[in-house]
This record gives sequence, C-alpha cells and structure tokens, in this order.
Amino acid sequence: MHSAIGSESSKLTPATSGFVLSAAITVLFNTALAWVKDSSPALNGFMKSLSGHHWTTHGLVDLVLFVGLGLIFMSTRVAQKIDANRLIGVLIGAVTAAALGLALWYAFF
Amino acid sequence: MPLNISSSDAILLAHAAFGVTGCMAALWVFVEALNARPGNADRLQLAALVAAVCMAAAWICGGYWYVHFYPPEKALILKGPWPFAHNLFMETKEHLFFITGILAFLLPIAAREKLYASPAARKLVLSIAALIAITGLAVEGAGAVINHGVKLALLHDVSKGAR
Repeated sequence: MHSAIGSESSKLTPATSGFVLSAAITVLFNTALAWVKDSSPALNGFMKSLSGHHWTTHGLVDLVLFVGLGLIFMSTRVAQKIDANRLIGVLIGAVTAAALGLALWYAFF
Repeated sequence: MPLNISSSDAILLAHAAFGVTGCMAALWVFVEALNARPGNADRLQLAALVAAVCMAAAWICGGYWYVHFYPPEKALILKGPWPFAHNLFMETKEHLFFITGILAFLLPIAAREKLYASPAARKLVLSIAALIAITGLAVEGAGAVINHGVKLALLHDVSKGAR
C-alpha cells in the first residue's frame, strides 16, 4: 500500500480548485455571452471587428477568462476555501445549466 | 482510383476525428480514475493530456472550417427542409464546444492531483472526464444532424430539378 493512501485527503491543490472555479464561471459566461451576442447585432458586429469573426472572438474571450481567473484564484487561494465536494457540484451544475441554457435559447428564441 | 479530397473535406474530417479521439481519451481517463493507484498515475496524466491536445486540435480545425467553409452550407441548410439543423443544432454546437474545450483544458490540471490518495480529486477527475465525453458526444451528434441538413437541402434541390 502506498504511504499516501493511508492519509486520504479531501482537499484540492490551489491550482486545481482555482481552475475548477474558473471553469465553472467561464462556462456560464460563455452561455451568457452567446445570449447577449445573439440578441445584440451591435455586440456581434463589434466582436466580428476584433478578430474577423464573432465566434473566434468568443472563443478567445473564453480562453482568456478561464486562464486569467484560474491564475487569480490560484494565487489568492480563494477557491480552496470552498469544500471540494461543493466545488465539484458547482462545476457539474454550471456545465449542466450552461449547456441547457444554450440548447433552450436556440430552440425557442 | 483518384482521391478527390479538398482541403475543406480534410479539415472537416480532421475536426470530427480529433473530437472523437478527445472523447475517447476522456473515457480512458475515466477508467484510469476508477482504478486510481500510484502505478497508473502517469498513464492517467498522459490520457488527460491526449484529451486536451485532441480537443485543442478539434477546436482549431473546426474553427477554421466554420469561419472559412461553412457559410455556403449554412445558406443551403436555411433554404432546405431542415433549417433547424443550423438554427438550433449548429448554433448550440458552436457554443457548446467551448464548454467541452474548457473542460478538456481543465482535465490535465486536475489529473496532476494524487487521485489514489484523495477521494475528492478522484471524484473531480471522474466528473470532468464524464462531462467531456457527454458534451463532446452531443457536439458530435449535432455535427451529424448539420451534415444531414445539408444533404436534405441538396436532395431537395435535385428532386425539384427532376420534376
């Protein structure tokens, strides 16, 4: 038996917890931006002007937000204060809400 | 036999192939995490890296194809019998894929935890891997519907011309 198995931990490292919280926020932001972009031709046009296509800008903004928030949460250790199991629940809930939010939006609007 | 494969075809097929491989790598991570022990930690991290690299490649190939080659297909779909193949399936897919991508980039970070010693880390990696596989396969399925939307539009045009 490995020595680490004896001392089971329910804690995540600052990097993992920080990037999990960042991912949860980013996926919700992704859906919110899709909604706003879809209902605002001005924003859609502005995003297109930044990279040549609104979708490219959308993806880049998501990536910058994910990495940026992840690094901030990692250095401040703010996500480590959240219980690991709760953090997992937050991630699953955020992904489910974000995915359903996209499908329902495009189905009905 | 001459192979008439355009760059558009190759990029589109590479996008789908990388996406499926990324989903399979996520399932590989899931299985390794179910059996997490010190002996398979390196293999689990490798699988997580494969998932992330494949999803990044799928993102680049799919994005390039969507921006440069999709507009004529979109016009066909919208004039055909299945306009929802674009309005619902492509619109959802192109944004849902970002979620799959973000999760795929998160996976190698979470996989660096000692899963064999931390039940929470193990549960986290299982959750991320499952979410990648589920959302990734949903994106793949949407791709098939979009493809069928183009096919129906073309068949619709041909059958109208034959009448």
